[in-house]
Amino acid sequence: MSSARWMDIVGATALGVLLLLAAFSQETYTLKVILWISLNILAAVALRFVMLTGELNIATAAFWGIGAYAAGILTAWYEIPFTLAILLGGLIPMVISVAFGYVTLRTKGPYFMLISFAFTEVVRLIYTQTEIIGGNSGMIGIYSPRWLDPYYSLLVVACTILLVGTMFWLERSAFGRLLKAIQNNDAVVESVGLDVQKIKIICLALASFAAGVGGALFAHANRVISPGDFSFLVAVYALAYVKIGGEKHVAGAIIGAIALTLLNQYVISFGHYEHLLFGGAIVVAMLILPNGLIGLIERLTEFYGARRSGGSSRPQEAIDG
Amino acid sequence: MDLVAQLVVNTLQIGSVYVLFALGLTLIFGVMQIVNFAHGEFFALAALVVASLMPALSASLGLPLWADFLIALVAAIGAVIILGALTYWIGFERYLRDLVGSFILSVGLILFLQGVLVEIFTATPRPIEPIVPGTISILGGRITAQRLLVIGLAIAFTTMLYLLLQKTKLGKALRAVAQDREAAMLQGIRYRRISFYGWLIGVVMAGLAGALIAPLTVSQPAIGGDYLIKAFIIIIIGGLGSIPGAILGALLVAFIESVFGYYYDLTMATIVMFVIVMIFLLVRPQGLMGHVER
Amino acid sequence: MRQVRRALASALILAGSVATAAAQAKDTIVFGVSVPLSGAAASWGIGTDWAAQQAAKHINEKGGIKVGDKTYKVEVRSVDNKYTAGDAMKTVETLIGRDKVRIITQSVGTAPAKAIQALTERDGILMFTSAWGRSVKGPKFPMTFTIINTPDEVLAPIYTTVKLRHPEAKTVLLLNPNDASGQDTAKDAQKYWTAADIKVIDSLFFERSTTEFQPIVTKIGSQKPDIIDLGGTPPANAGTVLRELEVQGWKGIKVIGAGTGSDVLVRTGGAAANGTYMGLAADFDGPTATEVQRKLNAEAKTVLKESLNVIHMGGYDGVMAAKAGIEAAGSLDTKKIADVLPKTVFETSYGKATFGSKDVYGTPQQLLIPIVVTQIQDGKTVEVIRILPDELKKRLAQ
Repeated sequence: MSSARWMDIVGATALGVLLLLAAFSQETYTLKVILWISLNILAAVALRFVMLTGELNIATAAFWGIGAYAAGILTAWYEIPFTLAILLGGLIPMVISVAFGYVTLRTKGPYFMLISFAFTEVVRLIYTQTEIIGGNSGMIGIYSPRWLDPYYSLLVVACTILLVGTMFWLERSAFGRLLKAIQNNDAVVESVGLDVQKIKIICLALASFAAGVGGALFAHANRVISPGDFSFLVAVYALAYVKIGGEKHVAGAIIGAIALTLLNQYVISFGHYEHLLFGGAIVVAMLILPNGLIGLIERLTEFYGARRSGGSSRPQEAIDG
Repeated sequence: MDLVAQLVVNTLQIGSVYVLFALGLTLIFGVMQIVNFAHGEFFALAALVVASLMPALSASLGLPLWADFLIALVAAIGAVIILGALTYWIGFERYLRDLVGSFILSVGLILFLQGVLVEIFTATPRPIEPIVPGTISILGGRITAQRLLVIGLAIAFTTMLYLLLQKTKLGKALRAVAQDREAAMLQGIRYRRISFYGWLIGVVMAGLAGALIAPLTVSQPAIGGDYLIKAFIIIIIGGLGSIPGAILGALLVAFIESVFGYYYDLTMATIVMFVIVMIFLLVRPQGLMGHVER
Repeated sequence: MRQVRRALASALILAGSVATAAAQAKDTIVFGVSVPLSGAAASWGIGTDWAAQQAAKHINEKGGIKVGDKTYKVEVRSVDNKYTAGDAMKTVETLIGRDKVRIITQSVGTAPAKAIQALTERDGILMFTSAWGRSVKGPKFPMTFTIINTPDEVLAPIYTTVKLRHPEAKTVLLLNPNDASGQDTAKDAQKYWTAADIKVIDSLFFERSTTEFQPIVTKIGSQKPDIIDLGGTPPANAGTVLRELEVQGWKGIKVIGAGTGSDVLVRTGGAAANGTYMGLAADFDGPTATEVQRKLNAEAKTVLKESLNVIHMGGYDGVMAAKAGIEAAGSLDTKKIADVLPKTVFETSYGKATFGSKDVYGTPQQLLIPIVVTQIQDGKTVEVIRILPDELKKRLAQ
């Protein structure tokens, strides 16, 4: 079995386990952790989707935040029905991202990364200056319907699976191959007559919808949001999940998010060592796991796969003996 | 108090620290093509070393304050070099020219180093006595002698860096690598060695900025953050990798802060700066003085 | 086989968190503390955590907490709220969900406290806080108790003192950090200055992470106020501001309404700090401090290298209040404890105290302790007036 198929299975299993736990666990704390894991998976996959075109989009954090504030305002001020609020929480950032992409996606690489970083900070600073949404102290009172309370984690996992699944399917489709071709060499794609920027914008829009929904769900889960929740660090942590989990396959983003969320929970009890341990873990992971956790799993499956077929599955190794 | 003169004086004194900080950052980007988010930690480390040593030294050695400061400065730079070498060998060496990888690594480092700094130095705010007491009035703008000293030292250190880059062999190699890495390697310049020196010089500049700011403010582990954000704004506006650009950018940012901070407030100033950054990146990504990317 | 070892290491990391936590001994009560342990406000949190740990130590040395015929040991767990609402929620949820904490003995920061309240009031968790804003108190929040003096206790005394001593002062300018604590402080300051017949000419805010204050100081100086009230500005920033003001030539009356940490103020402000009136600065070294406070402060200076301020002391007093409440109620039921607390007089670091001020807030949620207005004279904190709340005097006499 190719390692890609293995990864599909690993990713699907992880999501399946989360779903089952969310559906059947009675422990409030477990449900909360599952919720945070799911939200982190969503952020990681949304970020990774744009990385397929070769761009590091820190503005994922900005759109996450716009989704959160949009849904929060709709629920807390206008008492819009929950489902609609979440949906709009995805659509509003999506629309904004199209405008953003139109203006900025003609830059690439470090320049796009820095623009998206600047954009995220500007949006965050604007939140702090805007008194009616609470300024620096944020907004409170964002409540999901009462009857939904015991099922909220399940809902979040379900939405995550839906969105992740969609992005995965897109990645495997022709559209996904187009994105990867752009990452490889966009001049070639352009020369075939395709509008590269338009494709990038579509990719960004889809990822921003997912990020916006994530932010909206986050807002209702926490019931309070503040500008400090939406700094560029959201994107940085999402990037850490992707890198440490493994960039090459979506399962990496999933596994990375699970591992680091659990680790973060663990270090919270260490009080003021929280930063030290979490940062240290990221550093260590970057140093010893260059291909991420799934790189590790890949090597294991190759190793055992070779053992079982009584020889090496790789011709080079057979030659080397 | 003459308002205009005061605003100019404010600009100069804020800008002088920004210049040193940003110079290191832009040098590292130019030579190594990486974004060092952990730059602020070297800054904070140097400030904390100076702020913790000064009281101890002045109590025990009986030397004039400026001598204590010099000793503390040397110690601070020493600490920065050790940390710089460690972080390079253990980490950044593997992520040369890898924007994403070095970015995550530096973020992990920020969290880790923040924790370490709090452990070693505690989070207590540490002020120190000004080395040169007194206040001076320059054409109606008031400034402490201390800050004037800092401006002077900042100019001195910047000039030294400039001379290093323009007149020494190492400097030429650094510039060559920043301009065109492959061509430089063809000329026999050892890229990895030069990167290491570039890195060290970069973080030493941050350390100098930190040591100079210790007498002007209260040092605590978290002071790196604010400066880091400003420094990124500066080097983008000035031009990633450009030394004169960093100087110009620093003065411009300090000016905006000084003027906007007076007429509106500092957060608006920061928003304005970020918007300017975005405009630059769209319209003139090489900044004021940078080189155009191929 | 490096691969297998690596895999095992990763698996251990994953399993580690599941295994941790609820490793609570049967006979331990865990109190939670939510404070900033990183970032610009870290020194507030670390000191508070330390003071709370000391309280737990003292209690355990004396035998623990007695409930009925059972004795419990006390453990204090502090989590980093990073001074933001979202992180406060997340970390407190971990305390409640994983560590089964039912009492939070100290929370620092108005914005984090308000965020946590959404959780604690709903789940019946008791919260002691040093949040300065009035908005955390009221009949809607019966499980919340404040354990330091707040604007409604402190501002009127300090402002009238200033007015009496400096009758020629007519105008004041306010400066506060730009967040919930700062904004609540500014509102209250406006109210009480106006009540003292002094005009508020401007109210400015700065971001907590600011390091360069010259632009703001230039702005303040150009408006030439008679008095400047730094409100809830942390002492390190306040010292810097005062020093800059002196450099730029402003001379006037300096007030820090919510001022704590006078020794940090003196260290950062130097001579410019002299004359400053502060509302929450307790000199825990001086003759007016209690024996308990002096001992704690001395130890803090060796261990933490800084003196304790009122917020830190709240870490100690919250634990003491919780202990008193549990023992008075004879149970761990938080609703019963909340009921009985205002009726109990108990030992705090300040001596005997109780909760009251129902006439001010609607519910008796305010700790009644001496209100002390101080002034910095020659680098030392000097008491100007000391007021014992009437309600406390009555209760102590009973």
